[in-house]
Amino acid sequence: MSFRRLWILMRREALATLRDPFTISILVAVPLMALLLFSSILSTEVTGLPLGVLDLSDGPTSRRIVRELAAGGNFAPTRWSSRPAIESALRSGDLGAAIVLPPDLERRRGARGEGSAAPQVELIYDGGEAVLAANAEAYLKSLVLAAVGRATREETPVVVVPPTSGDRSRAPDVAAGGDVVPAEGPAGRAAAAAGPAPRPRGSGAGGIRVVPRALFNPTLDGRPFMVAGTFGFVLSFAATLIIAVSVVNERFAGTFEQLQVTPATSIEILLGKVLPIGAVFSVDVVLMMLVAGWLYGVWPAGSALFFVLLSVFYMVVSLSLGMLISATSATAAEAVSKTVLLSTPLIQLSGFAFPVRNMSTPFRWFAELIPATHYIRMSRAIYLRGEGPLTLLPEIAIIAAMGLGLGALALRAIGRRT
Amino acid sequence: MSAFRRTISNVLAVAYKETALLRHDRTLVQNVFLQPAIMLLVFGYALSFRPTNVRWAVLDRSESTASRALVAEIGASGYFEPPRRVESYGEARRLLREGSVTAVLVVPSDLRRRMERGRPEVQLLLDGTDPMTAARVSGYVTQIASHVGLRSDPGLRDRGGTSPATRTGPEAGVDLRQSFRFNPTLRDLDFYLSAMAGYLLTNLCLSAAALSLVAEKENGTYEQLLAQPTRPIEVVVGKLLPNVAVSYLSLGLATIGAGFFYGFWPRGNMLLLLLVTLPFVLATLSIGAFVSTLARTSAQAIFIAVFFIMPSFVLSGSMLPYELMPHGVRELGGLFPLRWFQVAARRVIVRGASLSEVAVPILVLVAIFCVLLAAIRRMMKPRLG
Repeated sequence: MSFRRLWILMRREALATLRDPFTISILVAVPLMALLLFSSILSTEVTGLPLGVLDLSDGPTSRRIVRELAAGGNFAPTRWSSRPAIESALRSGDLGAAIVLPPDLERRRGARGEGSAAPQVELIYDGGEAVLAANAEAYLKSLVLAAVGRATREETPVVVVPPTSGDRSRAPDVAAGGDVVPAEGPAGRAAAAAGPAPRPRGSGAGGIRVVPRALFNPTLDGRPFMVAGTFGFVLSFAATLIIAVSVVNERFAGTFEQLQVTPATSIEILLGKVLPIGAVFSVDVVLMMLVAGWLYGVWPAGSALFFVLLSVFYMVVSLSLGMLISATSATAAEAVSKTVLLSTPLIQLSGFAFPVRNMSTPFRWFAELIPATHYIRMSRAIYLRGEGPLTLLPEIAIIAAMGLGLGALALRAIGRRT
Repeated sequence: MSAFRRTISNVLAVAYKETALLRHDRTLVQNVFLQPAIMLLVFGYALSFRPTNVRWAVLDRSESTASRALVAEIGASGYFEPPRRVESYGEARRLLREGSVTAVLVVPSDLRRRMERGRPEVQLLLDGTDPMTAARVSGYVTQIASHVGLRSDPGLRDRGGTSPATRTGPEAGVDLRQSFRFNPTLRDLDFYLSAMAGYLLTNLCLSAAALSLVAEKENGTYEQLLAQPTRPIEVVVGKLLPNVAVSYLSLGLATIGAGFFYGFWPRGNMLLLLLVTLPFVLATLSIGAFVSTLARTSAQAIFIAVFFIMPSFVLSGSMLPYELMPHGVRELGGLFPLRWFQVAARRVIVRGASLSEVAVPILVLVAIFCVLLAAIRRMMKPRLG
């Protein structure tokens, strides 16, 4: 390998890239767009979900419950007059959830002795939106229990202060009496997002109260998770595609064959392409880190330098994959359909949004074979948990092994004359 | 011959020529057979936000029957792997930091005493890295724990403790019953399989149409095409038509595949699903064609198309519910045809909606198609230079 030849190849690549305004804008715009678009999409907090209310009792208690549900801002309650109307609104997607308050809510409230059946409140969710329904369930259930708990404990009928949103934050004080609105702060947020709040005590009924506490991300904010994952998206997907198309273009123009017949060896051709584009993406990584930090306050908890180094290392692996794709496709159209065909499952299986552990066993193994899975895992470990190089050593070794394999395959493909 | 009939005849002639070409296209097999097969597997077996195989640890300082019952109950729920035992907070934190466990249950030493007083509490340390998983795991554990004591008390058990997922006991003053319409067990599978058609058709239509005109530019036949007696817009529509047929073929295979392998058949009217698909396919194809008029080389067309596909998957709400996204992003997603298609398709497939309930998405898709067609026509005005 001659460094002079490599230098010339790199200069050539850099000049060709700089000359083309389209490529330059893609190289800068795509990472930043990805960061802006993806960072805010994952949330566990339901806001303003249309909630249908069928109030069969229409008394002070039920009205108070509805007011409390509206106060939090998580749900936007609307009144409906009949069950069929609600069912049809659920089907057309106008409602995300519905609550049916029974006619005996009022009567039972006043005279409920030991052993008499409690009034039955019904919650109906639109299971068609399974993810949303699961999140809504967590909120709605605890809010309703809290509101009912408060309303039924009142001695006097509800002429009292109309509940405001402040009511929710006061909840912890009442918790001793069996209130179910979760505490504020980390634990509370987690519990609120998570589900059914603890049961009221006092009757000796049993049940254990769980106090959840989320480490590394106390408010369970979706942003750091997505920001750290977006690095994986940009470095895997955008980098692979850009280099693949660049090589296919050269093939189309005939300059790739010319490169092959120069004294330059395969490894020089590979590095001559990978290093200049890699340098641009390294700048992108730093740029994304700064934008995420300034815009969202998401900075890596671990060493920033280590993260950049790791990203550069991973980028070389990912660019080798791009070289492999392009060197084995004859036309640009083939390279596209290959990348598109590969990319969708790769993005979905790499843990970018869907946790790998939730997949069925063969897919978990398959996910481990994707380099992006390991990079995204490490990126989150550094960004959120502040891990250092030592504990990540096994993952780094796996990526290195994959890089060697992909590099060797890419070299063979480059050497082949078509 | 009227102008309208001439247009139709021109479009059909171009479509016929394109069909003849398409038959020899190597990527056709891939688009029609391979892509649905891969997606059926991935969407059916891999995509889920429901935590499974959760790794967790227990720091049990009480060693009481209650704590053992709680651990056993959590293990019996089926979401968790057998727990690891840890001896100290330090160890618990280390495991969480390494990512080897998602949650650590900390049982205080005075659990038994607290239980006698009626206020037992345990702590659950969670790895907040993945908020969705952390929130759901916390929900499971909270729910399971709230029933642990009840099991030992037969009197209360049948009232509250039978089905933690759907009922709560009467202690709160009400008997809360929950149900999930259209998907009683709240499977993620239904959610993702119903979105699959949208993914499939977006991939297929965009990659086919984005290269349609740019290839003519690269081959130098674009000027000839503009100089033909057929109008440019007729050529574009003619080029897109065969892809509509391919789309329906692909949709059919995906629907049959989902029904056959997962027992997931559309609940609504099959014809309505086909009707909803038409404006979506046309809108997506015309986005591809529009990209093709913008781009100068096929490489550029690919870039624009692919970087349109990715955000449309994410922002349309087919991957994550758009209702959970912040305002601004939510509205931005409305610009993508996939948003309206996934809304309409899920209504028909999962909820069995009728025509009037999907009319709005259909009209929006038609509008998007018309706007794009006008834009393409403008872009293709023969120009010098």
